[in-house]
Amino acid sequence: MTPRRVFSALWSILPLVISLVAVGAILIPIFLESTPWPVEARNHLEDQGVAESGAQNLVSAVYLGYRAFDTLGETIVLLVAVSGTIGIIARAKGALAKGFDREDKGSPVPAVALAAGTTSLSAPPPRLRRAKTRTDLLEVVTGKLGPVVLVFGFYVMLYGHLSPGGGFQGGVVIASGIVFLALGGKEGASTRLTEAGVLARLEAMAFFFLVLAAFLGMFMGSGFFTNFLAGVGLPSVGFIILLNIIIGLKVGAGIGFMGIAMLSRVEGAKGEEVNHD
Amino acid sequence: MILLFLVVLIVLSAYSVFTRDLLHGVIALSAVSLVSALLFYILQAPDVAITEAAVGAGVSTVVFVWAIRSTERKKRQ
Repeated sequence: MTPRRVFSALWSILPLVISLVAVGAILIPIFLESTPWPVEARNHLEDQGVAESGAQNLVSAVYLGYRAFDTLGETIVLLVAVSGTIGIIARAKGALAKGFDREDKGSPVPAVALAAGTTSLSAPPPRLRRAKTRTDLLEVVTGKLGPVVLVFGFYVMLYGHLSPGGGFQGGVVIASGIVFLALGGKEGASTRLTEAGVLARLEAMAFFFLVLAAFLGMFMGSGFFTNFLAGVGLPSVGFIILLNIIIGLKVGAGIGFMGIAMLSRVEGAKGEEVNHD
Repeated sequence: MILLFLVVLIVLSAYSVFTRDLLHGVIALSAVSLVSALLFYILQAPDVAITEAAVGAGVSTVVFVWAIRSTERKKRQ
């Protein structure tokens, strides 16, 4: 082995060594430390969490009650991520077509309208064309499974204050259901959930209502993101259910929108392949 | 049980890093998500388990597979 060979071999395992050292540097202090874990917040949650928030599921109580402000930040992160993805997909029009070695002959969803979320509501949904790689199996299974997944997502979302789950988890499951429906949907299906314009509007409305729910507490004389439902005499858990529904719809619509945008783009490009030969 | 799951996790992760076929790597990653969802459930974090199963094994796998489908397979010279 020449010295150059040895050097290149060392160079190739360098990233592995660096990442192992980094992981060790993070993990070893955790194993070695003898400081007791802070228990104050945990004890408070254990004793008074259910009484204060009304939610059996204390995780929901924390992320929609005590730390709802962080949740607002998280939904904004998701909004920005979805917008960025849609922007990239819309911009990658030419690049993707170049990858398939042919010019782009108009996308199923107009890129500019997609980016602005202004796809006409009356327009029929872009039909996902059958690609060569797609089998009947996929279409049949996803078409049957989609509604079930959707119902399960709504269950996880609506019962987030009692059972494990909540807005984010339920929303992601709803998004899976929407993508399943889009994959297995037949021509003239009775759902409009797979239309990009509907999903974009749904997400925008959900975000608007989230901010509105956050500000309503201020109009009732208390702080940002305070439980305004408890102020008017309703059970205080209602606020958590409301926020769960809003966040679930927002996450579901956002991620479903992203999935459908990618689906139409890639399927559309593949579909032209079928047309050409 | 937990140890078994952790070993499976490490093996699958290593496979997904070192495999030459991107699709095999993605499927291994999806299996990683599934096993870690089981692990989270055993460790009494069902919320995290649901999220991991839905995001890791569901959405991200679908996104990766779409991304791979828009690439082309290159024959090894």
